[in-house]
Amino acid sequence: MASAFNPRDEVRRHIANSGIELPDATIDELVAYLEDLHANAIEEGASPGEARRRALKALEESAFTSLQRHAVTHPDRQRAARADLMAATSGRRSLNVMSAIRLAVRQFRQHPTFAIVTVLVLGLGTGAATTVFTVVDSVVLRPLPYAEPDRLVTLWDTNAEKGLTHDPISPVNFMDYRALPVFSDAAAWWRPGINLTETGRDPMRVNTIEVGGNVFEVLGVKPQIGAGFPAGGPMFVTNELICVISDRLWRSRFSADPSIIGKTISLNDTPYLVVGVMAPKFHFPDDVDVWQRVRWDLTQHSRAAHFMEAVARLSPGTTLEQAQSAVEALGTRLAEENPRTNKGYNARLIPLLDEELGYYRPALMVLFGAVALLLIIGVLNVATLLLTRALSREKEIAVRVALGAAPRQLITQLMAESLVLSVTGAAVGIAATLAALPLIVAFTPVDIPRLSEAAVDMRALGLCLSVVGVTTVIFGLVPALLLLRSQFTTDLKAGERGSSKGARRTYSVLVAAEVAMACALLVSSALLVRTVGSMMNTPTGVDADDVTISTVQLSPSAVGAPARGGTIETVWVPVANVHSRILDEIRAQAGIIAAGESNFLPFSVGWRNPFLIDGQPRPARQEDLPQAQMHSASEGYFAAMGATLARGRDFSEFDHKDSVAAVIVNESFAQRYLAGVDPVGQIIRTWSTNIGPLGANLKSPPNYRPIPEGLPAEIVGVVKDINNVPLGQTVEPAIYFSTRQFPFSEVFIAVRAADPSIAQTAIRNALRKVVPNVPMSATQTWGERFAAKTAEARLLMTILLFFGGLAALLAALGVYGLFSWSVALRTRELAIRLTLGAKPSSVGALVIGQSAVLVVTGLAVGLVIVRLAESALTRVIYGVSTTDATALVTASALLLAAAIIACVPPALRAMRVDPVEGLRAE
Amino acid sequence: MTKLLLDLSRRSAKGAEADRSAIDAAKKGSADLFILALVDEQDHHGYEIGRQIERRSGGAITFTMASLYATLYRLEERALIKGRWVEKAGQRRRRYYRITESGRAMLATQRQDWGRFIAALTEIAGVKPA
Repeated sequence: MASAFNPRDEVRRHIANSGIELPDATIDELVAYLEDLHANAIEEGASPGEARRRALKALEESAFTSLQRHAVTHPDRQRAARADLMAATSGRRSLNVMSAIRLAVRQFRQHPTFAIVTVLVLGLGTGAATTVFTVVDSVVLRPLPYAEPDRLVTLWDTNAEKGLTHDPISPVNFMDYRALPVFSDAAAWWRPGINLTETGRDPMRVNTIEVGGNVFEVLGVKPQIGAGFPAGGPMFVTNELICVISDRLWRSRFSADPSIIGKTISLNDTPYLVVGVMAPKFHFPDDVDVWQRVRWDLTQHSRAAHFMEAVARLSPGTTLEQAQSAVEALGTRLAEENPRTNKGYNARLIPLLDEELGYYRPALMVLFGAVALLLIIGVLNVATLLLTRALSREKEIAVRVALGAAPRQLITQLMAESLVLSVTGAAVGIAATLAALPLIVAFTPVDIPRLSEAAVDMRALGLCLSVVGVTTVIFGLVPALLLLRSQFTTDLKAGERGSSKGARRTYSVLVAAEVAMACALLVSSALLVRTVGSMMNTPTGVDADDVTISTVQLSPSAVGAPARGGTIETVWVPVANVHSRILDEIRAQAGIIAAGESNFLPFSVGWRNPFLIDGQPRPARQEDLPQAQMHSASEGYFAAMGATLARGRDFSEFDHKDSVAAVIVNESFAQRYLAGVDPVGQIIRTWSTNIGPLGANLKSPPNYRPIPEGLPAEIVGVVKDINNVPLGQTVEPAIYFSTRQFPFSEVFIAVRAADPSIAQTAIRNALRKVVPNVPMSATQTWGERFAAKTAEARLLMTILLFFGGLAALLAALGVYGLFSWSVALRTRELAIRLTLGAKPSSVGALVIGQSAVLVVTGLAVGLVIVRLAESALTRVIYGVSTTDATALVTASALLLAAAIIACVPPALRAMRVDPVEGLRAE
Repeated sequence: MTKLLLDLSRRSAKGAEADRSAIDAAKKGSADLFILALVDEQDHHGYEIGRQIERRSGGAITFTMASLYATLYRLEERALIKGRWVEKAGQRRRRYYRITESGRAMLATQRQDWGRFIAALTEIAGVKPA
């Protein structure tokens, strides 16, 4: 019976008779042949019996043994056999999700290198991203622990003429701004040097601010115990000496004794009543242990004295912009009304969180951007790996589709594989985060606000999970769809080449994207390298890397002065003498090269005060007098700090209270105000008699009242500029007084010795001998202090360099992978080119050229990314612009070189293609 | 090809009695050429390839099913042709073969060689193209 003709059964029987085995794919083909033959015979008019006979004859004539060799060795059939086996292992041909996952795990076990590399790349990416997110979240994104923290702003003086963008505010100006209706209230403070002294215990330095009594009301916080400063009480001008202390001081110094409230503590020998202890995590404005209430009238100070910091609460409904414009309008008016003190000055509001974070906010945002780029590069890298892998399985998938595998099953299988990789990668990432975070918190070389509160939480885990989700889809679905699209095309003309070409295009886009992001990262890190370089190369005017710096704060009791109400004779002359004795004691010890003191270190701004040089016209109004920074320095200070005297002499022990007032000016001063004349011997008049409780000019009249003609002082020397402004600003003219004639209670001691430890011992011995009740502060070398100024930028630079290097490596791997695969795919084309007479070198050049095009495209896109990130980058770089040619060229060249090196091995392989083998090769 | 010619002439020289195996060998050697030439024109599935060869050679050249597929697989292994499963509407699934770039190169070479061979047959053996 014709209807009984079943070609498949016939083929199977014939195979069995031949004693051989053929894979299903081959059997399918033979069956199709017989069906065609049979159908054709019927079409030609043969009876079903005849048609069947012809088919069987064709079968009988065939020697299947000749088929077996090809059928078994053909790669297509090998893969098909494996695919069949895989399907069989799951118990049935359709794979469900769990068995797909099991199968994926088994596959990765069989090819562990691929799986390990993929999981590590992903783990590194998610780990870095989760860690940085956790840090950014706790440091930047969480609100400050104050009432309605969004309404809190800080207030700073600015002066465009002097290049000041963030200067301490003058108390008088502050009081004017505070009265603006855009503020509910505002509080200002300054930082006196305070020693906590108690009978029978070592004196200790405590970080103190003297602050308006309304500060806690402005912030909306209350002490954990005690009532705090009386609400609505007098802000200033009160004889009631009260303070609030920190939880840390309360626990470490007073054993957390609640009865501390109502007791007095001795701050610089003055008894202060403790009225509150703040909560453990309250750190405002920073690491402060004592909040003293201001007891002097801020309106009675000088508009020219910029030494206070301030926080203000915006009125309900007032925006930052509205407040800023109100402040600016008032600032302009104040400058017009008070040209002597306020010329060029205005004010600026900065949200409190931005201010507290300072450099860290933009730095962390840049870091977050960088880690996101790194993660994307990692994901793209893994995507390209998986794409290559999927393409190498194209035939297997083709056969499986041919065998009737549903697209859903294939997608399930590919998705299961990517899911296994993503989940494992994310697990590695979370483990890395959990391990790294405590280390980061403990070992970060800079003091990042709120970093200690960073902990992995649900938000971080959520981020990790979304990364897993996205990567799974990208890794699994994209290659699956790409492959299936090519498999289901019925257009034969599209053929095999088309799918490879499409895949190559996808691959190229992925690799170009990797290069682009690596480029952005490398340029950013190059900019940071340039920033740090430019910071380190800023001329400081001193050569003092190994010079030991310590601070000494003399209280009235330490110099035998009355606690309150002393005169110049009873307070300031002893202060000057004790400081000099301490320095003499230090110098007398072995190994000391030079020692001196000053009230300001380099990079700190001195007091800006008016002056007049004799012989120069005096302006009609006092406020039009020129201003210069005023510092006090002892003899030996310039020598100790390695500053250079350009002319004249240093101070000496003979520049004392009873001798002619002597000053040294810096070169900027000499060039601006004494150009063309010898500064030495010129007379400068100043009106600075005393600087509050900090220091006093011993040459001023006993009652401190400024005299109309000013206090004359002779210029005895010119010192080469020592940097007296923050990094990035122009050195200002400065006048140095002698500490013997213009002493300050708190000074920095600088000691140059054969070794810093010798200097440290010398300072300790001298203090013990001269002022046993004065604590020795922590010492640091100037090199360490200066490094701390660049620590934040250096840390960011180090991390970005690490990320940039990693990104470049991943991008280079991507380039290598792409071209290895591409060369393997094009072996035949290359072989034909070689057969047709192309030189191997030109084939190599072809590969390198194509890679160069790809990389240059990536670089161009990368530079666009840098451009987009410009606003964030400009806030973390210094002394270089985002278009800095050196940084751009270096980063691009580095990446280009890495990419070219990466495609050298594939290029060499392309050049070594044997035309004969190549033509034969698949 | 030269080897084949030598072989043929040597066998011919053995005796007047024509040796069928030489013709068979030549047929076998030409199988690749036939298949490459056919799939160069158009993609074909296996049965169609066999039928076309038989029809166009007037039945002079036939393949058994096994030898046809053995040849196809061999050509595919050498990347001269490429097969893929295609399912067209209303038709059963078949594996279509198409020529590859190297297949085309090989076809061109074979055409040249066979051209020279046939010229030699005409010239030396007086064989006229049919």
